[in-house]
Amino acid sequence: MLKNVFLKTLRDQRVSLAWWAVGIAALCLFLVAYYPTVSRTPSLIEFMEEAPDWVKAFIGESAEDYTSPSGFLHGELFFVMAPMLFIIFAVSRGSAAIAGEEGKGTLDLLLANPIPRRRVVLEKAASMAAATLGLGLVLWASLSVGAALFDMDISPANLAAASLSCVLLGLVFGNLALAVGCLTGKRGRSVGIAAASAVTTFFVYSLSGMVKALKPWSRISPFYYYIASEPLKRGLNAAHALVLLAASLALGALSVFLFERRDILV
Amino acid sequence: MGEAAILTRGLTKYYGRSRGVEDLDLVVERGEVFGFLGPNGAGKTTTIRLLLDLIRPTRGTAEVLGMDVRGRGVDIRRRVGYLPGELALYENLTGEELLRYLANLRGGADWRFTRSLAGRLDCDLSQAIKTLSRGNRQKLGIVQAFMHRPELLIMDEPTNGLDPLVQLEFHRLVRERRQEGTTFFISSHNLPEVERMCDRVGIIREGGLAAVDEVESLKRKALRRLEIHFAQPVPPEAFAGIPGVRDLRVEGRTLTCSLAGSVDALIKAAARFEVLNVTSPEVSLEEIFIHYYREEPGGGGEGHA
Repeated sequence: MLKNVFLKTLRDQRVSLAWWAVGIAALCLFLVAYYPTVSRTPSLIEFMEEAPDWVKAFIGESAEDYTSPSGFLHGELFFVMAPMLFIIFAVSRGSAAIAGEEGKGTLDLLLANPIPRRRVVLEKAASMAAATLGLGLVLWASLSVGAALFDMDISPANLAAASLSCVLLGLVFGNLALAVGCLTGKRGRSVGIAAASAVTTFFVYSLSGMVKALKPWSRISPFYYYIASEPLKRGLNAAHALVLLAASLALGALSVFLFERRDILV
Repeated sequence: MGEAAILTRGLTKYYGRSRGVEDLDLVVERGEVFGFLGPNGAGKTTTIRLLLDLIRPTRGTAEVLGMDVRGRGVDIRRRVGYLPGELALYENLTGEELLRYLANLRGGADWRFTRSLAGRLDCDLSQAIKTLSRGNRQKLGIVQAFMHRPELLIMDEPTNGLDPLVQLEFHRLVRERRQEGTTFFISSHNLPEVERMCDRVGIIREGGLAAVDEVESLKRKALRRLEIHFAQPVPPEAFAGIPGVRDLRVEGRTLTCSLAGSVDALIKAAARFEVLNVTSPEVSLEEIFIHYYREEPGGGGEGHA
């Protein structure tokens, strides 16, 4: 595991990655186990039907069928919780990659080796992507297993589509954190800017359902490409997934560009 | 071959708050041990980090082993060993894991040689780095700089934190590698250490090279302080006009002075009286510099002084 920067970066986070996997699996199984209770509660159905528009708008378009498997998972997991977790994870990796190591002072030692800076950035970005994808697999596997165990009628393919979208969304902000770290070398700034962008674009997207003025702006939000195509119901929208992927790649390339050009802080 | 190990022309780096270095023209020949001497904050670390392409010059150029540091950093670093001044290591690894990682990034290292280096410096490789003392971390830093047998070793304050016995072993290591043709560029703020290890010395002060000299001639010129304690009060006139002596003060039975060059005449003058003790308090670098500027007009003292 000490062969190169990519593997070393994965190795450094093996313990935390294991806990993240356990946490996500537990959350998924708990939610799915809870589903039979929800689907058989008439008052909840009534409540959702009578809920004011702004509540529905906030929980998402699928609020009307909150008690269907995809509606339930959308409202309980994929609208807020899962993207939040994946963004937190990816941003923490993205900010640790360069700015974190720079803050600890180990970057001097690393960059004194005969490897170009761009390779350090790319290997670290690849390690972030691999770890996030691994968590996405955990998300998908635990939901699929849970669905089978508790008779939840939802296709594993759609679960895979939603999980992958979640990974791609997380990586957009992870790469943003990487880019800010590559520009400034400051971990706090990198986390702060990425988190603020995530919150802002989340609200731009979620409020665009009822605030007319925001409607045209919803498409600049990564959340639009994450969830607007309803991957839980309709499977993966390749175009939307590609937009997220392209945004990640662009931010990754920007990271290399920025990092090649600047002084390493002491 | 033929070209210098390190060559800088007008190398300049300005920072926001600190000065960095200014118009540094430096030549380090192959095979020599070059001491880069200066007080903290004079620009030693800045110069070294410019040579490793960790920071970029405001203007001027630098070549290492005949290659431009900006264009061919990777090729340079393949042949250079580096010990950072503010050494930070991966806390979560053991010493051995750290060395394996760094060796892997270099495409491998001679592991028997690495182990023998660690053994000589009494460096325990099995301990987690987070449990190591400052001195033991420094030893790991030295081992990683030497382990791939680089042609040029750039070391920023290498003996920082080392206990005296390990310092001696380090000096021995430098001498051995020098025999094999390795070039050293070693920064230090400790004159006696530089005198012991180096062939030539560059003195850096306030971001500029104040002087470059052979260690032998530096020793001749270097300012020392001397205190002589006599059994009886001595007449000041007995010590007047001795060459190289300045700031002479005789108070009762104690003589103090500063001295550059040979101590011979002063000792002979003192020998006419009963001498109880001779001591030589260490002279600060700053005093040596001041002396240098007084001795050598145009020796680079212009600028910020």
